[in-house]
Amino acid sequence: MTVDEALDARLSAMFAEPDPAPDEAFVARVHRAVLAEQRIAAMRRAQWRRFAVEALASATMIAVFWLLGRLGPLKMELGEGLASPATTAALILGLWFMVELRPAATER
Amino acid sequence: MAKAAARGDAAAFTKLVRLHEGSIRRFLRRLTRGDGADDLAQEVFLKAWRMSGHWRQEGSYKSWLMGIAWKSFLDLQREEGRRSARERVSFNATLPPHTDANARIDLGAALADLPERERAVALLCFGEGYSHGEAAEIMGLPLGTLKSIAARAKAALAARLEAA
Repeated sequence: MTVDEALDARLSAMFAEPDPAPDEAFVARVHRAVLAEQRIAAMRRAQWRRFAVEALASATMIAVFWLLGRLGPLKMELGEGLASPATTAALILGLWFMVELRPAATER
Repeated sequence: MAKAAARGDAAAFTKLVRLHEGSIRRFLRRLTRGDGADDLAQEVFLKAWRMSGHWRQEGSYKSWLMGIAWKSFLDLQREEGRRSARERVSFNATLPPHTDANARIDLGAALADLPERERAVALLCFGEGYSHGEAAEIMGLPLGTLKSIAARAKAALAARLEAA
């Protein structure tokens, strides 16, 4: 064994430490933190999904209003038309609020 | 197990934690002041969990964890500000109990005097048994640089041991 190898061996022996049994308290601590991360990630995904749905709904509403604004009053067979596109818009808004007020949507 | 953890299997990841927590905590305890080493170790495992999908399956999972531990230690150092390279670190309580007291004190003082990179290389190569190539991979250094650092660390440790 060379001098260098002997030094390496001596240093390695000094640093060497028997592997203890796993520290279950620490393992449990990390496991709890990992589960918390999973829950946060799931909540974040759910919030993004909701945002995407509401953004799409808002865009749809804007498009509907824009289209209605380009239409004239609708006429029914008896010659009477709806007063204005605003009536139709109000009907659509009412339907939308009914959807938004469903139980799942109010749990924010 | 690492592949299962990469797929989001928390139970598989917990098994990996159980397998490697001793080595990671020992490395960090010896590298740091000792205070907060377990908090840092927890942060290391959480980073590993978040980055599970990034493990390239090259080398051992333990080596990958050691790399995260080293980078986390550097991040902590940056957050806490620069410290003196000659900061005295209490290693006595973290050295193996079966070495003789004189050797423990000499090695502790010698490690305390080493700059961070040399201390880390000494811990990885002599303490954890990594080759120069593996230690270079863990620390993100070119092999030549790692060998230079290792040579300096060994010379410094040898000088301290001889002087004792």
